[in-house]
Amino acid sequence: MTASISSSISLRGVGRAFGATKALADIDLDLEPGVIGLLGPNGAGKTTLLRLLATALQPSQGEVRVLGRDLDVPAERTEIRRRLGYLPQEVGFPRGFTAFGFVDYIALLKEWAEPASRHAEVRRVLDQVGLSDLTTKRIRSMSGGQRRRVALAQALLGSPPVLILDEPTTGVDPEQRVTLRTVLAEIARTSIVVLSTHQTEDVAALCERVVVLDRGRIRYDGPVTELVDRAAGRVWLADAPDPAATVSWRTGTGRYRNVAAQARNGVEHVEPSLEDAYLLLRGDLPDSRPAAGAAT
Amino acid sequence: MTATLAASLPDAVDGRSTFVALAARELRRFVVNPVLLFAVVMSLWTASSDQAEVVLNFAVSPYPAIFLGGFGMMATYWLTRSMRNSEPVVGVTPISEPVRTAALCVVAIVPLLCGCVCLIMSLHFYPIGSPVYGDFSEPTQVAILVGQMVIPTLGGPLLGVALGRWVGFPGAAVVLFLLIFGWVNLATWPSLTRPDSAPAAALRLFSPFAYWSFAKNRVDLMTWRGSPWFFLGWQLALCAIAVLVALLRGADGPVRPRIGRALWVALLVAGILFVLANAIGVTHTVGA
Repeated sequence: MTASISSSISLRGVGRAFGATKALADIDLDLEPGVIGLLGPNGAGKTTLLRLLATALQPSQGEVRVLGRDLDVPAERTEIRRRLGYLPQEVGFPRGFTAFGFVDYIALLKEWAEPASRHAEVRRVLDQVGLSDLTTKRIRSMSGGQRRRVALAQALLGSPPVLILDEPTTGVDPEQRVTLRTVLAEIARTSIVVLSTHQTEDVAALCERVVVLDRGRIRYDGPVTELVDRAAGRVWLADAPDPAATVSWRTGTGRYRNVAAQARNGVEHVEPSLEDAYLLLRGDLPDSRPAAGAAT
Repeated sequence: MTATLAASLPDAVDGRSTFVALAARELRRFVVNPVLLFAVVMSLWTASSDQAEVVLNFAVSPYPAIFLGGFGMMATYWLTRSMRNSEPVVGVTPISEPVRTAALCVVAIVPLLCGCVCLIMSLHFYPIGSPVYGDFSEPTQVAILVGQMVIPTLGGPLLGVALGRWVGFPGAAVVLFLLIFGWVNLATWPSLTRPDSAPAAALRLFSPFAYWSFAKNRVDLMTWRGSPWFFLGWQLALCAIAVLVALLRGADGPVRPRIGRALWVALLVAGILFVLANAIGVTHTVGA
């Protein structure tokens, strides 16, 4: 295997259409090692972008280079795949496979031909996702969260330089999510981890950088802290929904959390979260302003 | 759950050893397939008895072709389709789809070997030169036996892989099996009623499996026109076409036009062999 000539991913003017529908348009991105969060509403183009990065799709326009290799060139695409871990949004499992059997099969397809090292690697990743006790259990008899972890385990094979994860924590319990964050943070010291999720707390806990997509375009690309700072002074608690707020919702204490595009004085301000900032960003869009009082 | 990490991509990529390991894995999955196990048991069981009625009617037992070829096709079809749901993961691995298809094609060696065993067992009951084979020369009898008992056990499973790669309908292999079974019987019928007819012979030979003789009342043996040797070639060309059609799925870059060219050559060769199978050999029906 040749040494990688670049440790980054770059997208220039990338677009992807499905028939008349433009899923992505004019995407310019440079991704370096670290965890990059991808946020956006349903249909924003997150999964399409991840499938492009995972070589599962070709762009309709523009250029995608992963670790310096061109996605359009078949031989270079294979080189990318040798350095790639991909967890799709949905993974179907073949009938009769155990967790070990499935991950071992994928390891074989990732060119781990030597049985001893392959089995050791499979045990390592199953241990990483907390399935070391369930290696011989058939996947069909596993819970949704356990299946998700099997799917995640195959993506972690070989600690790849590029890890593309589409909603990795769906169905995973809180304790495992915390451990998973530790695993991903460790990988991200040397690898590019792109993480699409609807869980803003995962992004807040794990990512230095966040990309917000909406209708196939990048709405925000920058540090998580900067996005959160944008919401400073615009989030407050009140006993009732504030008509001036972009979004309001009832919290567990019975009080209402209000988020508004304009800073307010004379109210009980609270520390904004990434979720507040994201909602605020989404609320800025002319036709995506949620109704006040709606639980978003 | 632990957070231990080891950067551990496989050190060196050896395409051949990866392919061998993958083919071995597919073989292991295939040999426990219940449909294949049923086919093997039935084939060996039918081959272990003399199957007098069938053999005396058509000279050769069609059961290996039916079980190992037909049911073997269903087994490879389901094996090929088994990873379809995992395609989002499997499809972005460095092993390309044609290589995975080639590994699946290797499993056809299992029914092929079983077909060989059936042939050997059959020869125990009806050795070469037996009257049941009619007036064909002894080498031609070998060609007939191989063409009817061995090659279909290779071709059926290969066709199953091709079908699994291109057709999404879950019952496609069953439907194709019934179509081929029906076609072979239908195409044989004109040869029974018009044994000297060249179109009837062409119809009978335009198939992956063909009978070469029939014994009316198990006594009056008639052998049909055509060349069993060239028919054997036609069958092998069909096997090659099945493999190439299967490999075409997912092929990109310079591999795709190469497979495409090989497919055209195989089609041409198949056409020539089909013509020769009709034109050479016994040109008239021989009654015994």
